[in-house]
Order: sequence, then C-alpha cells, then structure tokens
Amino acid sequence: MGIQLLIFLPLLFAITLPFNSIRVRNVVTYIYVFFLMFITLNIFLNSSAITLNFPHIYHQIFIFIDSAVLLYFLHQALKYKNKLVLLFALVQIILFGIVLLMEPSANSYDILIDSVSLVMLLVVNIIGGIIIIYALKYIASEDFKECKKNLFIAILFFFLGVMNLLVSTNNLEIFFLAFELTTLCSYILIRYRLDDLAVQNALRALWMNQIGGVAILLALIASIMYYETIYLDVLLKVVDDMFLLPISLLIIAAFVKGASIPFDRWLLGAMVAPTPVSAILHSATMVKIAPYLILKIAPAFSPMLAMLVLYFGSFVFMSASILALSKDFFKEILGYSTIALLGFMMAMAALGTEEAIQIVLILIVFHAISKALLFFQAGILEKVYHLKYLHDIDYLASRSKLVVFFVLVGFASLTLPPFGAFIGKFSSIELLSSLIEENIFYVFPLAFILLGSVFLTLLYFKVVTKLLPKTNEEFEEVEIPFTYKFTSFALVALLIGGVYVSYLYSFLGTTEIVISSVLIVVTMLMLFVVNFKNVKIVKEYNCAEKDDKELGAFYFEIPALYKSIITYSVIVLMCMILIVGVL
Amino acid sequence: MEYILILLLPIIGGLVYGVERVVRARMQNRIGPPILQPFYDMFKLLGKEPIMVNSYHIVFALMHLITLWVVVALIVLGYSLLYIIFLHLLSSLFLVLAGYSVNSVYSHIGSNRELQTIVAYEPILIFVAIGFYMIYGTFDIAIIREQSSAIGELLLLFFAFLLIVPIKLKKSPFDASEAHQEIVGGVELEFSGVFFEILYMARWIEYVFIYLLLFLFAGDNILFATVLFVTIFLLINLIDNATARVKINHLVRIVLIGGLSLSIINIVWLWI
Repeated sequence: MGIQLLIFLPLLFAITLPFNSIRVRNVVTYIYVFFLMFITLNIFLNSSAITLNFPHIYHQIFIFIDSAVLLYFLHQALKYKNKLVLLFALVQIILFGIVLLMEPSANSYDILIDSVSLVMLLVVNIIGGIIIIYALKYIASEDFKECKKNLFIAILFFFLGVMNLLVSTNNLEIFFLAFELTTLCSYILIRYRLDDLAVQNALRALWMNQIGGVAILLALIASIMYYETIYLDVLLKVVDDMFLLPISLLIIAAFVKGASIPFDRWLLGAMVAPTPVSAILHSATMVKIAPYLILKIAPAFSPMLAMLVLYFGSFVFMSASILALSKDFFKEILGYSTIALLGFMMAMAALGTEEAIQIVLILIVFHAISKALLFFQAGILEKVYHLKYLHDIDYLASRSKLVVFFVLVGFASLTLPPFGAFIGKFSSIELLSSLIEENIFYVFPLAFILLGSVFLTLLYFKVVTKLLPKTNEEFEEVEIPFTYKFTSFALVALLIGGVYVSYLYSFLGTTEIVISSVLIVVTMLMLFVVNFKNVKIVKEYNCAEKDDKELGAFYFEIPALYKSIITYSVIVLMCMILIVGVL
Repeated sequence: MEYILILLLPIIGGLVYGVERVVRARMQNRIGPPILQPFYDMFKLLGKEPIMVNSYHIVFALMHLITLWVVVALIVLGYSLLYIIFLHLLSSLFLVLAGYSVNSVYSHIGSNRELQTIVAYEPILIFVAIGFYMIYGTFDIAIIREQSSAIGELLLLFFAFLLIVPIKLKKSPFDASEAHQEIVGGVELEFSGVFFEILYMARWIEYVFIYLLLFLFAGDNILFATVLFVTIFLLINLIDNATARVKINHLVRIVLIGGLSLSIINIVWLWI
C-alpha cells in the first residue's frame, strides 16, 4: 500500500497545488513534504521485499500517457522547428507502436522493490523533499506570476512521484514511461524561464534524453523478440551471454541519463534553470537513474561487458574532472563534478559484487546530500549576494561565514574522510586492488580513478581559492532567509547521520572514523567559533610590494586535441559495448 | 614505547633536519651550523611577539601540523597504509588552504604549486600502497613490517617512490612549490614568529613521514632499513646540491608520466 501512496500522492499533490495563494502554497508544501518523508521512512523501516501488480486498466492508462507524452514531444519539435527532437520523437512513436503490437509471454510483477530501490526511494523523497522546501523560498523571490510559481513546485512534486515509479517498477514498459516522464519534467523545468537560451538548452536536453528513450524501446523489442518478456527480473534470469543486446541498450540509456560524455551537454545546459532545478536534477533525481539502472542490470553482465562499462565509467570520471578545470562558473564546476562522479558510480556498479553495490549506494546517498548542499549555496550566493562567477566571490569569508562554512562542508564531504564519498573511493581502491590479482586489466580503471580523484580535488580547491581571504573592507550585513539556513542545516545533519550509519556498517575502522571526524570538527570549531584575542593583526607582507594585485583562481586551458581524444574514446567504448551485446 | 616515540616525533625530525644541514654544508665544503640549530631557531621564534594576518591562516597551519603528527603516529602504530596516505593528503590540503586564506600573491602561487605537486605524487603514492597490497595481501603497516623485504619485486615502484621524496622534502630539482629565490617560500611567506614555528615543525615531521614510508621497503630487516635510510638520505642531498630547480609544469609531467608508467609496469610485472 505504502508504495502506491508514494507513487500517486505526489501526482495528487501536484494537481492540487497550482491554484493556491502564497500562504496556502507554503503551508501545504510543508505538509506534503513531511507526509512523503514519513511514508518513505515507514516503508524503509518496515518492509523487506515488496511485490505488486497493477490492474489491467492502469496499463491502458499508462499507454495513453506514453502516447500523450510522445505526441507532446512531437508538438514541441514542430513548434520550435527542431529537427533532432522531431527525428527522435518520430522514431520513438514508431518503435513504441511496434512494442505495443508484440505479445510477450513471460509474466512477473509490475512493482518489485529490493534493497537498491529502497535506498533510492529514501534519496528521492527525503533529499527531494528538502529541495522542494528550499525551492519554495527561492521561487518566491523570482519575478514570475504566482500561478507559474505554484506550477514550479507542482512539477517538482510530480518529478518525485515519477522517480518513485521509476525506481520501484520491474516492468520495462512502465520503466520506459517513467523514463520519458522524467525527460518531460526536466524539459519543462529547464525551459521554465522561457528565454531563448533556456528554450534552446531545454530542447537539447530533450533530444539527448530521447536517445535514451529510443535505446530503451529497442531494448524492449530485443527483449520481447529473443526472451519473450518485458519484466526486468525475468530478463536478468534468462538472458544469455551470447545475446546481451537488451542489456547493452539499457546501458546506453543509463549513460544518457547520467550525462556521461558525450551526452554531457544537456546537464550543463540545465544550468540556465532556477537553481533548485539543478539541485534536484543533480542530487535526488534524473542523473541518479544512471547508477541505479546499472546496479539493477549488472547481474546480467558478461565479464567482457562489465569490464567495458568499468573502463567507460572510470574514463569518464577522469575526463570530466579534467574538462572541469577550465570552467569558471560555480554551477558549471559542480555540474562537471556530478558527471565525473556518476561515471565513477557506474564503473563501480558494473562490478556487481556485494561490496561494489554497497559502495555505489553509499556514493549515491552522499553525493545527493553534498550536491544538494552545494547547489543550495550557489542559490544563496545568487539570490542573497548576487554572485554567480568564481572570480566574483572574493572575500566571501568577510561577508558570510555561514555560506563559507556550508561550502567547506560540502566540498569536504565530497573528498575527505569520514564522509561517504571518501569511503566510496577508499573501498573501491581496496576492491580494485584485490581484483587486480585475478585480472591485470583492472589496473587501468584503477589508474583512471586515482587520477580522476586528484583532479577533482584540484577542482574543488579552485572554488576555495577565492573564498577565504579576509579584508578590512566593510560589507553590508545581509540576513540569509531562514528557509535557506534551515534546509542547509538539515542536509548537514543528514551528512553527520550518514557518517554514523557508515560507522554502524563498519566501512571504515572505528579509529579511522573517529580520528578524521575529530580533525574535521576541531578545524570547523577553530575556524568559526574560536577567537584569537591576544594576537596582533597585521596586513599581508607580500614581500613589501606596493602595487595592488588582483588575485585570481588558477586556470587550465584544455587543448582541443584532448577534447576530441576524449570524445572519440568514449564513443569507441560505447560502440564496443553495443557490439559485445550482439556477439 | 611507541607512544613515547610519537611524542618525541618533532625532536627526531628536528635532529634529522639538523644533521641534514651539516651534511649539505660539508658537501659544499662549508662547516655548517651546529646540529641543534633547528632547536635554537625554535626558541628564538617562540620568543617573538605573535603576529597574524587572519585567524583562518593560523588555524589551517595548526591543523596541518596536527594532522601530519597524527599521520606519522598512525604509521608508528601500524594502521592501514591506504588510509594513512589519504590522511596525509588531508594534511597537505590544510597547508594549501592556509596559503589561499591570505590575500598575498606569493602565498597563492605557493598554494597553486603545492596543489600541482599533489596531483603529481598522490596517484603514485597510492600505487606504491597497491604494490605492497599485491605482495602482502594487506594494507596494514603492522603486518607489512613483520614480513621480509620485497624491494626486489617492488623495484620500479621503489624508483617511483624516490621521485616523490624530493617533492615532499622540498629538495632540488623538485622544490618548485617552495622555491625560495623565486616565490620566497610560497605558503610560508605570510607566517611569522611562533606561527612560522608551526610550519617549521611540520616540515620536520614530514621528514619522519617520508623516511618511515621508505622503511616499509625494507620489511623486517632493521639493518637493511638503516642502510636504505643512509643511502637515500645522502643521495637526496647529493642530488639537491647537484641539480637545478625544475619548472612546476615539467615537474608534474616528469613525476606523473614517469612515476605512473613505472608503477603500472611494476604492477603488471607482479601479476605475471
């Protein structure tokens, strides 16, 4: 029962929201979010495996919605005269027709919830919920009609509902529906501002994501033709190493959603949307489909396929980290680091062992929290301090200690012990080291991961470079709105809770966790609480140079050659994944 | 016993540093300072009036020292090598943050270069740990120390490790991150008095850190460890005296490409 509530309640919330006044919107949203979190926790704590079948009428409705969505894409393509959108919409309509004509024989459950799905539900609803509360305040300060603001919140709820459906379904047809609906949600959210750039980027996101849709439909057709099933669990059981095409195609769909190079441009283009959209795309929803899908289908991988996905993921991890070094826009840097980390998660998910699954889950959860926290800060910088680019955020430490604190915690949680991202990296190095003894080909992914993680560290420091220096210049005191502070602190609390959970599951030894936690806490206390009184304060010596110098963050120009090498390598890897599927 | 050793770490490091200054002086036909000179410096610095630019700057330097101390303590107590390497990364990052937290050009350049050297040596350090893992089946230093030396199997990784030693000890040709004549010490520039002593002491502990890692190559053979230490100590100082500084981007390229190829070849070789 609970799971149906999780899927359909957000849709109901979305329908009831658009016609309210501001005050009702605020109160109602808080209640809705609280409700969603409550149900999720209830499901998480009470149940093991849930299975369920939808009545026949639901399937009819689903097919109707599917057709409606595809027709809407077609309509948008014609409206904006976009050939790529048109092409993929038409291809999808034809393929979808073929799928409907075919009659698979094997049956199973429509809804099947395992431990991976449970963790995903937790991420979607809890972190998604916090983001919606943040969005409430953010959107209130935008310059739109009230009705449109209500719509924004409504779509976010709708998005959560769709994600709940996506992570709990076992039926590939329903999975396709949910997949298309997430594409639709992201399309609407990205073009929310409706200026030229927003529309253009939204259309790009649309056609790229439609490639994923095409891949899923082809996977469906292949699966029905050779294995007579549309159910994932059946497919995983009967699939034969000689014909892995459905699996390969699903992998491609995952790459698209995960914005892996060469599909990275849609996620970066999504930056034009209001910041909560980035927060929700990067942390709780959308891109997390990628590692989730790979985790689900990994049991069916042949050793060759697993190795290829591992190579692809770790290579993307390294390349995206390098590409990010040349960026100067806070949100863009966060975007590339998402792409990189998703590559990493997919690589680990491909290994498919018990330990690898745990690593990926912990990465999914912590990455969601950290990214949400960092995007919240990007939003605060934009709304409260009117800062967008890295070179503008000089002297932030003198303006707002709180934001600096959150940014530091956010980056620390992506790199340092005892936080989850570190644990993921640490455990995966251990895991790969033990695998090397069996197969030497693991050594290159390992090298990619090591290089990628140092480049990522370098990247995070690029942001920190200009954060810390203080100045005697007086800045106006600006109060950060309560909602922003509250949601950010909630995420910090989740981070700390996560450390406790990883302690319970003993991913790291007790001493290791305690030592690093103490070091981090002591640093934070000394930075933000302790005052050095009896020490004389002087200006920088700077070798007594008199001229004023403007400090900048470091900058790397990535040669075009490297970029094309990266693109071609990933395309070759993708082709190999497809070829392995057929052979 | 171990705990006393941990408490005395800065003193041991200071002595090594003092001896090194004498050795270097002798190589240049100078007499050099007394061996206890680092400690005389310390007392002088401690007696000065405390002056700071801002509190972040000081806090990060202090955390750099504390973390480094913890790192070496964990090596002495025999914890996981992989974890120790990451914790050491944290201590280096504190130093970088200290450099970034003041509004000074040289300090920033120093931090930038420090970061670049981290990019260069960090993957190789982890590969060294992986090499040990492949030989002994564990990252635990306590266990590695009880086994016989594996320097024969890990020869190429040992050479890769030797590339890192001058970086960490700020020795020519790989001392671009400090480069006294060029960026006036980089991160160190804005520190003075007792706070400069913090960095000074951290450097002594860095000496202990790098030589303790070196001992791992000797396994349980104490005599071999001593020989290794003396040889490498003399070799590093000889090279320091004999070579000129390499530019930072060349440093990254040499260490990263050279070190990584050595590491990977070694690991492939181990597998075969």
